[in-house]
Amino acid sequence: MNEKRIIKAITYLSILVFAGAIVGWHLHSPRRDFEVLAPGADNRPEGLARNADDVKIGEFFMRYNEESSTRTGQWNSFRGENSTNIVTTPEKLNIGDSDFPVIWTVETGEGHASPVIYNGKVYFLDYDEKLSSDALRCFSLETGLELWRRWYRVPIKRNHGFSRTIPAIGDDYIVTIGPNGHVMCCDPNTGDLKWTVDMQKQYKSEIPFWYTGQCPLVDNHTLILAPAGDEVLLTALDCSTGEVLWTTPNTVNYKMSHSSVMKMKLNGKATYVYAGVGGICGISADQADAGKLLWDVNKWQPSVIAPSPVQVSRNQFFMVAGYGTGGAMIQVSQSGGTWTANVLDAYKPNAGIASEQQTPVFYNNMLICVMPKDGGALRNKLVCYSPNDLHTPLWSSAAEDRFRLGPYLIINDKLFALKDDGELYVYEIQKQALNLLKKQRIMDGVDAWGPMAYADGMLILRDAHSVKCIKIS
Amino acid sequence: MNGKNNPKKSPIERRKFLQMLGTAAAGGSILLVAGGLASRINRAEAGLYWQIDPAKCTQCGRCETHCVLNVSAVKCIHANRVCGYCDLCGGYYRSNVKELNTAAENLLCPTGAIQRKFVEDPYFEYTIDESLCNGCAKCVKGCTSFGNGSLYLQIKRDLCLDCNECKIALVCPADAISRVPLDVAYKLKDE
Repeated sequence: MNEKRIIKAITYLSILVFAGAIVGWHLHSPRRDFEVLAPGADNRPEGLARNADDVKIGEFFMRYNEESSTRTGQWNSFRGENSTNIVTTPEKLNIGDSDFPVIWTVETGEGHASPVIYNGKVYFLDYDEKLSSDALRCFSLETGLELWRRWYRVPIKRNHGFSRTIPAIGDDYIVTIGPNGHVMCCDPNTGDLKWTVDMQKQYKSEIPFWYTGQCPLVDNHTLILAPAGDEVLLTALDCSTGEVLWTTPNTVNYKMSHSSVMKMKLNGKATYVYAGVGGICGISADQADAGKLLWDVNKWQPSVIAPSPVQVSRNQFFMVAGYGTGGAMIQVSQSGGTWTANVLDAYKPNAGIASEQQTPVFYNNMLICVMPKDGGALRNKLVCYSPNDLHTPLWSSAAEDRFRLGPYLIINDKLFALKDDGELYVYEIQKQALNLLKKQRIMDGVDAWGPMAYADGMLILRDAHSVKCIKIS
Repeated sequence: MNGKNNPKKSPIERRKFLQMLGTAAAGGSILLVAGGLASRINRAEAGLYWQIDPAKCTQCGRCETHCVLNVSAVKCIHANRVCGYCDLCGGYYRSNVKELNTAAENLLCPTGAIQRKFVEDPYFEYTIDESLCNGCAKCVKGCTSFGNGSLYLQIKRDLCLDCNECKIALVCPADAISRVPLDVAYKLKDE
C-alpha cells in the first residue's frame, strides 16, 4: 500500500519538476545581459547624421611628427615644374656599378597616385582602404617619417586600385583631386584646410570609368580645373581662396577624361589644351580673354584617353591614347581672328608612336614613350620617334626590355624608365640609339604605373602598394 | 671544604657558559642574516609587476587568448590627450564600414567596450568600459595603423595574478611584456 503511494508521489513529483523545468526554460531569457547596440548611442544630433555617401572633403586631420628641412628641391606637379617630365640638375647622378640605396619605403592603399616634392617634404594623395578615405599624406623626404595627413571618407570600390592623381603644390597651397572628383586645397606646411570643391555636385561632372585621372594644373597661383560637367568645361579658381575667376561654358559637350590640362603657347597665344571625351579644345590663358574657347577639334576623339597633350613645335601638339586609338598630330592656326585646329596625322598604334597611359616626353626634338600592348612588334618597348615622322622609330629598347605601363622621366641627359614590375632602367639617350647604363630591381612591384618624381638627389617611385625613395646622386 | 656546598660557586663552569653564549650568538647571527636575505628577496619580488610596453606591442591578439584568467587582465587604455577625437575612428569602426553610426554591425570592438559621445561636429570623445574589454587589441591595431595610437594595452594591476611566469609574456612575439617596479607599474602615454 505504502509502496504504491511512494511510487505515485515520485511520479507526480517528477512530472512537476519536469513541467517546471520546461516552463522555466521557456521563461528564462539568455539574452537578459545583452545590450542592444543601435544607431544613436553616441548622442550625435539628428541633423548631423551621416549617410554612406556623405562626403565632407578634408574634415579629418592628424599630425604625427614635426620635422624641418633645409632642402629646397621641388617637383611641384604632374610632370614636374615645366610639365615636361624633364629635369636639369647640377647634382651628379650616381650611374656607377653600385645600386641606388633605398632610403625609405611607405605602404599605401592600392593605387597609382604619385607624389610631389617640396622643400624637403613629400606629399601624395593616398586612399586608405580600411577607412574608405582619401588621405593627403605628408612625409619627410630625408627619413620617410609621416608628418601629417588630412583625410575624408569617400566609400568607393576598387577599380584597378583607388588613387590616381598627383597634387600641385606652391608655397601656400597644395591642391589634390580625389578619385571621385573631390578637390581639396590645404596649407602645405600646417595641413590646414583652405577650401574644397566637389566636381560631381558643383559641376555635375561625370566621373570616368577607373575614376578621376586628371591632375590639377596651377598657373600663376590659379588652379585650372576641367570638370567637363553639364555647363562648365573649364574653370579657374584662386588658389588661396577657391574663388571662381572664370569659367568656360561646355558648349562642346565634352565629358571628363583621364587626361590633364596642359598650358602651351600655340601660335604665340597662351592656351590651355584639354583632351576631353568628345574632342580636344584650346582655351585662352591670356589675361585679356582668359577662359575663352579658342578652338576645338573632334576629328580625333578616343573614348578613353589618359595621356596629356605634348607641344612639339610653335603651332603643333601631339596626342596619344590607348585601347586601339594610336596617335595624332594636331596643328593650331589663326586667321582673321579665328582659331582653328586640324588633325595633320592620325594612325593606329601598330602604325606609329603611341602610348596607353603615360604622356610621352619631348626631348631634343625626339618623342619618347612606351608603346601600348597593341603596338605590334614594338609593344611595351621604349621607343623614340621624330615629330616629323611619327611612323618610323629612331630607336627602341632591347627585345627583352618591355616596360608595359611603367613611367619614365629624363634627368639631365639620362632616361630613367621603370618596368611596371619594379625594375628601374637608366639609359643614355642618343639620337640614333639607346645605351643602357644600369638596371636595378627596386621592388617586387605590382602595377608600378605612377609617374616618378625627382628632387634633391632623391627619386621617388611607386607601385600599387608602396612608395619608395632611392638616392640617385 | 666541599665545593658543592659552597654557595658562591656557579653551577656551570665559565668556559662552558662562554661556549654556549658563543654558539647562541653565531646561530642567531646566521638565522638573522638568512631571514634578512629571504625577506629582502621576497620584498624585491613582490615589488615587480608584469607590464606591456606600448612602443613594442604589435597588437597580435595573444593577450586575449593566453592570459590564465578567463577574461584577460590586459585591457585597452585610452589616452585622451593623444586622441584626435575623430568621427571616423580607425579604432572604433570596422573596415569598409557602410554607415557612420553606432549600430553593432559597424563597430570594430567585439564586446562593445568602446563607447563614444558627441562633443561637437565632427568630434567624439571615446571611453573604454573596462568590464567589457577582453584585451583583443583590435581597436589598438586600428588606432595605431591609421590614427595616432591613443588606444593601447596595459595589464591591470587589480586583475593580474602576478604569476611567476606570465603566460602572455611567454608567447609575446614582440617581447613587449616585462617586469617593472611598482612605481612605474603602468606605461601610460598621456603622462
